[in-house]
Amino acid sequence: MRRNAAEIALSLGVLALGIGVALVTAGLPSEGGYAGIGPNFIPAVVAGGILLVGAWLAFEAFTGGWRNAPPDDPAARGEHAFNGTAFGWISAGLFIHMALIGWAGFVVAGVVLFACVARGLGSARPVRDLAIGLALSIAIFAFFVKLLNVNLPAGWLRPLLGSAGI
Amino acid sequence: MEAFEALLAGFGVALKPINLLWGFTGVTVGTLVGVLPGVGPALTVAMLLPLTAKLDPTGALIMFAGIYYGAMFGGSTTTILLNTPGESASIATALEGNRMAKAGRAGPALATAAIGSFVAGTIATVLLTLLAPLVVELALKFGPAEYFSLMVFAFITVSAVLGTSTVRGLASLLLGLFFGLVGIDSQTGQPRFAFGVGELLDGVDVVVLAVGLFAVGEALYVAAYQSRLTETLEKLKGSVRMSGADWKRSWPAWLRATGIGFPLGTIPAGGSEIPTFLSYAAEKKFSKHPEEFGNGAIEGVAGPEAANNAAATGVLVPLLTLGIPTSATAAILLGAFQNYGIQPGPLLFQSQADLVWGLIASLYVGNVILLVLNLPLIGLWVKVLQIPKDILYAGILVFATLGAYSLHQSWVDLLMLYVFGLLGFAMRRWDIAVGPAVIGLILGPLAETQFRRALSISQGEASVFFTQPISATFLAITAALVVVPWIVRRMRRRKTA
Repeated sequence: MRRNAAEIALSLGVLALGIGVALVTAGLPSEGGYAGIGPNFIPAVVAGGILLVGAWLAFEAFTGGWRNAPPDDPAARGEHAFNGTAFGWISAGLFIHMALIGWAGFVVAGVVLFACVARGLGSARPVRDLAIGLALSIAIFAFFVKLLNVNLPAGWLRPLLGSAGI
Repeated sequence: MEAFEALLAGFGVALKPINLLWGFTGVTVGTLVGVLPGVGPALTVAMLLPLTAKLDPTGALIMFAGIYYGAMFGGSTTTILLNTPGESASIATALEGNRMAKAGRAGPALATAAIGSFVAGTIATVLLTLLAPLVVELALKFGPAEYFSLMVFAFITVSAVLGTSTVRGLASLLLGLFFGLVGIDSQTGQPRFAFGVGELLDGVDVVVLAVGLFAVGEALYVAAYQSRLTETLEKLKGSVRMSGADWKRSWPAWLRATGIGFPLGTIPAGGSEIPTFLSYAAEKKFSKHPEEFGNGAIEGVAGPEAANNAAATGVLVPLLTLGIPTSATAAILLGAFQNYGIQPGPLLFQSQADLVWGLIASLYVGNVILLVLNLPLIGLWVKVLQIPKDILYAGILVFATLGAYSLHQSWVDLLMLYVFGLLGFAMRRWDIAVGPAVIGLILGPLAETQFRRALSISQGEASVFFTQPISATFLAITAALVVVPWIVRRMRRRKTA
């Protein structure tokens, strides 16, 4: 019988979420005025639903695997094997961006994100990526700040962007 | 005739130069972004939301209608030339369109898609104009109980009835419903699932969820499983003109597809995916050249593309008249409406007739713009398709993070974006439909409000949902949709056993 570790883990994750939602719901007030139900009623229904679906998924995962799921062999899906490095580059890019944007500014964070994502998708030309990322980030920054009056952090490049009239 | 007068007034709004400009901008930008491989209409609309931040509501909605149509069409160009459908609705087109392109007939394939979209879109908009006032009249009779039951019907059809797996569809829906609970309860002011985090008190924004699932999830997935594959972009050779035979074969396909697409778009059938497949199947059946199917039959492009556009217009019927989104894209549009404090529904047709009819009129205008714009600019779209994948996804993510960050100027939204990205990755990998989650997020809180209102009116008597005839009918249909296929399957199994 086919048992799939990832499917089992995901099913248990859904169950865990259901338990979490139920626990938080238990702490919500229940007084509800005329309706007779309070702000905890629908969360309880949702918690029940998540638990039910989690159990159903777990049942499928333990009895031959999820029904109609895509094949586990990447080749059978016309894809290559899971590339953890590529996945890591994109994740790293997003986390560095998260950390940088507030103080280093939109443009600096954007350049780093751009270069990391491009690297993750197989680019071998970091200098080109940094250059395109810089041009794109400055263009977006100028467009949103100047034309649309959306507030974005200038950060480290404030003096530079300021003297360029942005 | 009342609708006709209202529509004329609507044209007065839509044809104002400034609104015409917004419509034009919307269609252009929507097509441009929609053409990008891997970017479907839902993501296009979500990513372009920040662009309208400073517009007046009418201008913003008109621009959105343009983006919606442009994004729908942009996907077909990508499919025909690249064979990597950016949207599920384009899969049927990929079957024949890409074969046509491989055979050097990319021009006529693009032409029949563009003209077919125009024909179907225009007929569907006429039907929308005629149908909307009728639905509004009916909907004015709806109370909270009816709305709630209708929403339950929508929840079940988009998650449990359609798609490859009932349980995974339901899982997606419940996740969306859970995300919808986060924030301040609109009835009592009670914070729920916010854990004292300011960004969460505002609730989960549909842009963050949609962009996370579609853009970040897609980037992670493509990097992990597809970044080392090569794709071939078909060349656009010769003219985009269709021959006489092409026209003769396309016309009936366009009309049939409109007949399939519009009605299916108006009911909660998950948007464009099913109509395009049904249209493809119908064309294959009716074609005088069935042997060409699989090798580039023009009906196989004309039908699904027309069905796609007709369904996209049909989706606007429940969205505008009832305030019920039946596709992920419609849910994001509804989120955009709510950002302006506009709640679509029958009352909107009375309180803000200008805005609604201006929007409907702009759909007619949008279809014309789409037709005028697309074929002449085809060279530009081909250039867009030549952007290498690494640059493309890097650019998409810079833009996607901007949308999330501009909500509160906070990294917390970016962290949520990443978490939704991981979720999107998993959902893509294990074939869990994303649409129900987005619909659940937007429609869940509305359903809860109606549920509690209905119970307030009935003084806590839960039977109200079953004793009101309209409400009971909706619930009965919902139950039948779940139970009947199950019984049929059991009976079949017993026969074979």
